[in-house]
Amino acid sequence: MSNELIQIETPFQFSEENQRKFDKLIQRYPVKEAAMLPTLHLAQKQAGYISPAVMEHVAELLELPVMKVKDVVTFYPMFFEEPVGKYVIRVCYTLPCALRDCKLVLEHIKEKFNIDVASETDLAKGTTPDGKFTLLKSECLASCDVAPVVMVNDDLYKNLTPEKMEEILDGLE
Amino acid sequence: MVQERRILYEHLDVPDINTFDVFRQYDGYKRFEKTIKEHQPEEICDMVTQSGLKGRGGAGFSTGLKWSFVPRDIEPRYLCCNADESEPGTFSNRYVLEKNPHLLIEGILICCYAMGISTAYVYIRGEFTLGKRMLDAAIEEAYRHGYLGKNILGSGFDLDVYSHPGAGAYICGEETGLIESLEGKRGQPRVKPPFPAVEGLFHKPTVVQNVETLCNLPFLMGQGVEWYTSIGRTYGDTRFDPPQSDPNTGTKLYCISGDVNKPGVYELDLGLTAEELIEVAGGVKGERVKAVIPGGSSAPILTHYELECRLDFTSLTLWKSMLGSGGIIVMNETRNIVDCLLNIMKFYAHESCGQCTPCRWGTPWVRDIVQRIADGEGRQTTIQRPRFGIAEGGRWGDTGEMEEVYEDLDLLESVANNIANVDTMTWNTICVFGIAVSWPAVSYLRKFRPEFEAAIREGKLVTLPVEEATVPPEENYAYQQRIVPRLFEAPA
Ligand SMILES: Cc1cc2nc3c(=O)[nH]c(=O)nc-3n(C[C@H](O)[C@H](O)[C@H](O)COP(=O)(O)O)c2cc1C
Ligand code: SF4
Ligand code: FES
Repeated sequence: MSNELIQIETPFQFSEENQRKFDKLIQRYPVKEAAMLPTLHLAQKQAGYISPAVMEHVAELLELPVMKVKDVVTFYPMFFEEPVGKYVIRVCYTLPCALRDCKLVLEHIKEKFNIDVASETDLAKGTTPDGKFTLLKSECLASCDVAPVVMVNDDLYKNLTPEKMEEILDGLE
Repeated sequence: MVQERRILYEHLDVPDINTFDVFRQYDGYKRFEKTIKEHQPEEICDMVTQSGLKGRGGAGFSTGLKWSFVPRDIEPRYLCCNADESEPGTFSNRYVLEKNPHLLIEGILICCYAMGISTAYVYIRGEFTLGKRMLDAAIEEAYRHGYLGKNILGSGFDLDVYSHPGAGAYICGEETGLIESLEGKRGQPRVKPPFPAVEGLFHKPTVVQNVETLCNLPFLMGQGVEWYTSIGRTYGDTRFDPPQSDPNTGTKLYCISGDVNKPGVYELDLGLTAEELIEVAGGVKGERVKAVIPGGSSAPILTHYELECRLDFTSLTLWKSMLGSGGIIVMNETRNIVDCLLNIMKFYAHESCGQCTPCRWGTPWVRDIVQRIADGEGRQTTIQRPRFGIAEGGRWGDTGEMEEVYEDLDLLESVANNIANVDTMTWNTICVFGIAVSWPAVSYLRKFRPEFEAAIREGKLVTLPVEEATVPPEENYAYQQRIVPRLFEAPA
C-alpha cells in the first residue's frame, strides 16, 4: 500500500531546522520509538497534516514499520490525516463550558463561515472552502474558570461571547 | 469565612517568577539545597510517608507508600510527571506550568534525589502549548545554572528532565496509558499488576506523580513534617466526620467552575465542606445549588442535601464519591441533570481507548440511552406483576397489577453497572475509566431520578424545581451510608 502512495505523493523531508530539532529529540529516549509523539508534532507543524508520505518518513527515522506510525496517528485526536485550515478552531464543549454557553459561540462560528463542525473522519465539512479555517469541538481544555474557551491553533481565548469571537476571527490574517 | 492558605500558589502572581533569578529570590531551589545537604534519600521517603501526602492526580494514593514499592536494585528507574490534566473541571496544573515552572522542577529534583532516579519525563497534554514552552525554558535555565545535568551542585547526583507532549487523548492521564503513550504507542492502559512502581516505563520501575503532588515536596522538605501535618482542618465538628486514622494533611488546589460567581483555583486546607467552598468562590450564581460534582466529571454527583460533606479524600469516599482531581463543578436550579449527564457521557464515549469490550461498547450505549431520553424518546412500557389467580370471566389467568416502568432507566443502570459495578466496586475493564463512566451515570440517575422520569413521561427535557428533582435523603443510596461511627466523643 505504502509504495503506491509514495509514488503519487511528493516524499516528505524535515527542513534543516526541524531535522536538527529531531536529532536532539531522539537522544532523550533509550528507544527510538518513544520519540514518536514529539516527532509527529514536529512533522505536522511543517506539513500541515500527517500524509502517508509523512508517516513513511517518520517510520524511517524511528526505524519502525509504517503501520506502527499509522496506528498511533489514528489514535490521537490532535493528528490530522487530511489537510486542515490554516487556523484550527477548537471550541471547548465539555460541561463547565456548556454551563457557560459555549453553544452560542459555536453556533456563531458555524453561521459566520457557513460550515459544519468537523469530525475526525470528515474534516472537510468543517473547513472553509478557502482553506483558512477548520472548526472542531474539543473536550475540556483545562481552563474552566474562564469558560467558555476556544483555542485557535496554539492560542487560548477566554471568557468568550459571540461578539468577542467575531472580533478575534476577523483579526486573523 | 474560610481563609485561603496559599503555599503552592503563594508566588504564582509574582511578575517573572517563571525566570530563574526571580524564583531564587523567593527561596527557589533553596529547599532542594537544604534537602540534599541535610537528608539521606531514605529519610526523605520516610518524611513523605509521615507527612500523609496523598497523590493529587485522582486516586489519592499515599505518595510515601507508592515510593516504598519501588525496588531499589533495578536500574534505571524513571519519574513520569503527570501533567496531562484532562479531567473535565480541573485546571490547577496548568497555572503551575505556565506561571511557576521552576517550582515543579524543584519538586522533581527532590523526588528524583529521594528515589535515586536520573531521568524524569514531564508528560504535558498536547493542548498546553504555552505551558510546555514555559517549562522548556525553565528546564533550560535550570541546566544552565547547574540544577539539572550531571553532578548537581557537586553532590554526585545526576538528573535529566525532559518534557514530552501528548496529543489530545484523555486516557493518557491514566498512569499506564501515559507510560504507553510516552513509549510512542497508542495510549492504551496496561493490565495491572505489575504496577508501574515495579514495571513501568521501558519496563523499568517508574514513579508516576501528578504536578501538584510534586509541588508539595519543596515545602514539605523546607519546613518539615510537623509543619506539614499541622495544615488541615480540625475534624470532629461536623456531624459526619470520618475517623482520623488516615488524616488529610496539606492544602489542595481546589478548582471550582460552573455556576459560581468567582470561579477559579483556591488553595485551601484539605477538608472544608462543599458549602464552604462555594461560599469562598463567591456563592452560587443563580438562586440556589442543585447539584455539585466534587472531583472532576468522573466523581459521583452530590445533591443539595449533601453539601455538608467535607471535600477531602476520606470523607468523600464515605459519601460514595471522591475528591479525584479536585475539580468542583456547581450547577444551579436552572440546570437539567439529564442534559448534564448527556454532555459528560459524550465526553466518555469519545475518550474510551477501546481495548475492553464493556467500555468500548457500553460507554456509547450509555450515551445513546441518555441521548434518547433527552430527545424525548425514552422508552416506557407497561408490565404486569406476576400473580396467578382467577381472572376476569372466572378463568385462571394473570391477575397481577399493571405497572408503568421506565424501561430505559433500568437499562441505563444495568449497562453502566456492567461496565463497572458501583455497588460492589468491581469493574470488568482493564482500567478504572470504567468506573469513571458508571459512577456519574448511576449516581445522576439514582439521585435525580424524578428528572429522568419526567423527561420520559413528558417526551421532552423538563427541568424540575430543585426539591422535586432530587431524591430525598431517606432514599438516597449514598446518604444512607454516610453516618459514620463517632470517634470524637469526649471521654466521660
Ligand atoms: C481515566 C483516568 C484519567 C486520569 N487522568 C489524570 C490526569 O489527567 N492527571 C493526573 O495527574 N492523573 C490522572 N489520573 C490518575 C493517574 O492514573 C495517577 O493515579 C496519578 O497520576 C498518580 O499521581 P499522584 O499519586 O501524584 O496523584 C487519571 C486516572 C484515570 C483512571
Ligand atoms: S476501561 Fe476503557 S479506557 Fe480503560 S483500558 Fe478499557 S477500554 Fe480503555
Ligand atoms: S470545560 Fe471548557 S475548559 Fe474545561
